[in-house]
Amino acid sequence: MLRMNSVSKVYRTDTVETHALREFSLSVEEGEFVSVTGPSGSGKTTFLNIAGLLEELTDGSYELDGRDISSLNDRERSRVRNEKIGFIFQSFNLIPELDIFDNVDVPLRYRGLKSAERRRRVERCLELVGLASRMKHLPAQLSGGQQQRVAIARALAGEPRFLLADEPTGNLDTHMADSVMELLAEINAGGTTIIMVTHELTLADRAKRNIFVRDGNVSDGYGSDASPELHFASAANA
Amino acid sequence: MEFGPIWRAMLRNKGGFLLIALQIAVTMTIMVNAIAIIQERSRNIARPSGLDEANTFTLVSVSIGEDMDNKSLIDEDLDLLRGMPGVLNATASNSMPLLQSGWSEGLTLEPGEGKSDSSSALYFADEHTADTFALNFVEGANFEPNQVEWRNHEVNDWPPFVIVSRALAEDLFPDETGSYVGKTFYIDDDNPVNIIGVVERMQAAWQGWSGLERSMLVPQRQDWNFTRYIVRTEPGYREELMPEIEDMLVKSNPDRIIQSVRSMDEVRKLAYLGDAAMIRILTFIVALLTVITGLGIVGLASFNVSRRTRQIGIRRALGATRPAIVRHFMVENLLVSVIGIGVGGILAVALNMFMVEAFALEPLAWYVIPAAMSVLLIVGQLAVAGPARKASNVTPAIATRSV
Repeated sequence: MLRMNSVSKVYRTDTVETHALREFSLSVEEGEFVSVTGPSGSGKTTFLNIAGLLEELTDGSYELDGRDISSLNDRERSRVRNEKIGFIFQSFNLIPELDIFDNVDVPLRYRGLKSAERRRRVERCLELVGLASRMKHLPAQLSGGQQQRVAIARALAGEPRFLLADEPTGNLDTHMADSVMELLAEINAGGTTIIMVTHELTLADRAKRNIFVRDGNVSDGYGSDASPELHFASAANA
Repeated sequence: MEFGPIWRAMLRNKGGFLLIALQIAVTMTIMVNAIAIIQERSRNIARPSGLDEANTFTLVSVSIGEDMDNKSLIDEDLDLLRGMPGVLNATASNSMPLLQSGWSEGLTLEPGEGKSDSSSALYFADEHTADTFALNFVEGANFEPNQVEWRNHEVNDWPPFVIVSRALAEDLFPDETGSYVGKTFYIDDDNPVNIIGVVERMQAAWQGWSGLERSMLVPQRQDWNFTRYIVRTEPGYREELMPEIEDMLVKSNPDRIIQSVRSMDEVRKLAYLGDAAMIRILTFIVALLTVITGLGIVGLASFNVSRRTRQIGIRRALGATRPAIVRHFMVENLLVSVIGIGVGGILAVALNMFMVEAFALEPLAWYVIPAAMSVLLIVGQLAVAGPARKASNVTPAIATRSV
């Protein structure tokens, strides 16, 4: 499903060169629920940006769904993001001027789906996250948990092959966080691959596989020398 | 196209958009009416005088010698002028079309004081005047030499024949469907005159007068010390002959002054100086307003791009291509522009109706409003193109950055 091989990402300014990812390699199979943890500045978000085609890699190779991503132009990358990837962001990233229906509808419009099909998908996804009755509400009229559910509905509406979640419970209280995690587990049970970046070890533990990132490199719980538990302990102490 | 969501989002954040729509509406209103005035002034300037303007010029002879025989001087001058190689014809008159000074008379169809059925500019003329003016007879004939008489300051008689412009004939006899030749009207209350000829066009001396097209030739020559000569040359000879003729007349009789040597182009330019200035000022105002409106749109669009950088990144992350982001801002601007030009169109028509009523302006040509709408739509779209392109360069990675 997702294969990164020796991926590097370097940010350059006139005077500074920052290596955010170094020789980063990772494989994620279809249907997996992978959590990615690591200390601040370890490269988690950079990994997520590259995995989600939000940024281009500097070196290495990246295959998504059997397709070499590094050769795609901007239009093709936008299309892959729209059709194959669903995003869930820490700060929800709903568009404040649009009501809930229109927010969920955004990626579907970019795909060019017909109005009836879009309506069907938006209503189904909002029903799935329990917000069908709030379609005409603005994001500001919803709680944080409800806004994140809308964001999940938006991510699901495109029927993506995999979901990228960036600290999806970071702005939520424990109760709401549990509810969102349950929803993600349900979605994963339906066959959708999920990669979730989080700094909360208890949440990471609810994934099927845990990845620890440090200094722009990956330690896979299933392939590294150290156990995931050690990595978590290390992260917790960092 | 996502008109619906963009429209709904604009309604929830309408302050800036309304201001720009208002600016577009005001620009539209002023632009349309300024164009209407420019068109009217341009039409006025383009009206033909009836003369062979490209080959005509005028000059004035003022006698300064004591006991000058003006009649002889005029005859000698005209003989010299008509005999000059390159000159087609020449005449002496009190004025000429568009000169801005002249003689006018009230006209009546019945004799009697205090009546006025029409009014007309009046040019004293001889049998050469019609040809010098290059007038086109639509009916009747020119004066015979024996019909032309002298007129001086002591004599206020009117000859029994005149040649009139068609506009004057139509104004005097609006119900006439046949010939105007032979018709009688009265000058100066009770002096009957017969129409012996009708010319297609001969403008009055005053470009701003509502009766500009009404004028007539009276077969009289002025025995005054102030004589205006009008000279028509062969094509291409005018500029060369103007100084030569001036020198020739000065040398032929030093007891007079030759002045105001002007080509018909200069006469026309002086007559329409105010109109030309008005056209330039209004054109400048329209251009300035259009530029200011364009800059206003650039400003609002740039502000919106800065304010919504994160939102643009989110849209990019959700699959918006760069052209889709450009399109988003273009559509947003299109909606604002449509509101602005819609309101502006209504205001423009209302203002034009007022101006037609208050200042006797001609009503708007049907195509001015759609043309102004198209211009403002194009200006709006061009103005927003830069900020929209800048927006399309926002990286989608901004969506994962902390607020």
